[in-house]
Amino acid sequence: MSFRSIDVDALDEDILLPDELFAFSNGIEIDPETALNNVKSKEVEVRNLLTRGDTSNALIKAIENPPYGLFTIEAKDLNTQIVMEVLNSTKATVEFVKSLATEQQDILMKYIYRGMASPDLYNSAVLLNWHEKLTEVAGVGCIVRVITDRKAV
Amino acid sequence: MSSTEVYQLNFGPITAHSFNKDRTQVAICPNNNEVQIYTKAGKSWNLIHTLAEHDKLITSIDWAPESNRLVTSSQDRNTYVWNLDETGEWKPTLVLLRINRAATFVRWSPNENKFAVASGARVIAICYFDEEHNWWTSKHLKKPIRSTVLSLDWHPNNTLLASGSADFKACVISAFIKGVDKRPPPTAWGEKFPFNTVLGEFSNGSGGWIHSVAFSPSGEALAFAGHDSEISIAYPGGAIKNIRLTGLPYLSLLWTSEDKIIAAGYDCAPVLFEKANEEWKLSRIIDAGKKKVMGESTAFNRFRDWDSKGRGGSEDSELNTIHQNTITSIRHYAGTRENVTHFSTSGLDGKLVTWDLESLENQFRNLKV
Repeated sequence: MSFRSIDVDALDEDILLPDELFAFSNGIEIDPETALNNVKSKEVEVRNLLTRGDTSNALIKAIENPPYGLFTIEAKDLNTQIVMEVLNSTKATVEFVKSLATEQQDILMKYIYRGMASPDLYNSAVLLNWHEKLTEVAGVGCIVRVITDRKAV
Repeated sequence: MSSTEVYQLNFGPITAHSFNKDRTQVAICPNNNEVQIYTKAGKSWNLIHTLAEHDKLITSIDWAPESNRLVTSSQDRNTYVWNLDETGEWKPTLVLLRINRAATFVRWSPNENKFAVASGARVIAICYFDEEHNWWTSKHLKKPIRSTVLSLDWHPNNTLLASGSADFKACVISAFIKGVDKRPPPTAWGEKFPFNTVLGEFSNGSGGWIHSVAFSPSGEALAFAGHDSEISIAYPGGAIKNIRLTGLPYLSLLWTSEDKIIAAGYDCAPVLFEKANEEWKLSRIIDAGKKKVMGESTAFNRFRDWDSKGRGGSEDSELNTIHQNTITSIRHYAGTRENVTHFSTSGLDGKLVTWDLESLENQFRNLKV
């Protein structure tokens, strides 16, 4: 099966690049600096909501406007950290997940998978619990969308 | 015609199927390089022809109802037009496609004077018969396609073509061929359209390959289904309605009227989308499945199965839908384009199923009461 490792696109000058695919899935590139600042100011708001004990709105705020982009790595890391903090301090319930819009459910699922990708940093048991509740409401369609979407978190 | 009819034509997948005009014969590809033509004999189908000219898997088959010609596309990068000669044999004619990747999808235009071939070479070949040279030749639609084209559908005016491709886009492009087509009247998609004019470009925004595109009966709306478990209905001018679904993605779409769409795919059951009060929504699953009949004395059976098979009797892998695997294709079977009464499906389980919408509707209504 060695032919499988041959890069057949190498001789083709007109290949489809990751940035094009990102743009095709309606992704808008954002300057990494701006993205990081946006997430930092979001962090403050989420913290305020958390100290007031308003976990639902804290989660909604945390998954709002994710820093999509191919170069916004720092902003993505920080945003993931914020979402994980909120998920850890909130009880996963079907009622809450149901109250989210489909778009919000999809973004939340993206963060759950992002968190589960680093089991050394984030508690997988908590994430699996959220995953179960979310799949119960949003179905496997939600998971498929996480896999296909080029706008990664 | 009775209600739903199920035929097991192959034990492997059926990659494509297409009926002739009076629905007495069907052409299928049994997941290899051959086309099999079956003729209906009472309750079963008999194999009468095997067309072996392609070298690799056949990806798509289309039977032109009026001119009684077949067109097939294959991964061997070729397309053949098949004519039934006086001796009753199907004779292939090679079409000059000029593509360097697999041909993935083929459809005759409504007037049957052209057909469109989708390919992995990032082009759509619009093929027409060149009287002067006495062969099928093609012109390529290139822009704005950036990846493999997976699906096509012709507008009823014989000129516009919809494409769905792996670059997450569905497009409406003009396939007007000078000398072959008469100038069509203006449509909602545009007034003037020389070859390769892009009249609409849509994306659902979630980055799924577009598996299927379909024009509504009037041609004034375009539906497409993506691998992101979403179906979208787009209108001229750019308005678009996306429906995100909770199930697995759909692979094929069929409009049964101006406000009804049937979709099917990895969930193995066709579903119906309906437009009510300007809102599209998933109306219901057409093949709702039936509860399996459990044998009597289940405790006895369970212990017997534990004894003989080493496991409980309830663990069987049969789905309670008619199709036992992914449905890859839905085709129009009976009724007018504006009011489809029957449709047919085929898929990876080797089954060919014809569905009677009316009797299914009645069943559903009775359930409601």
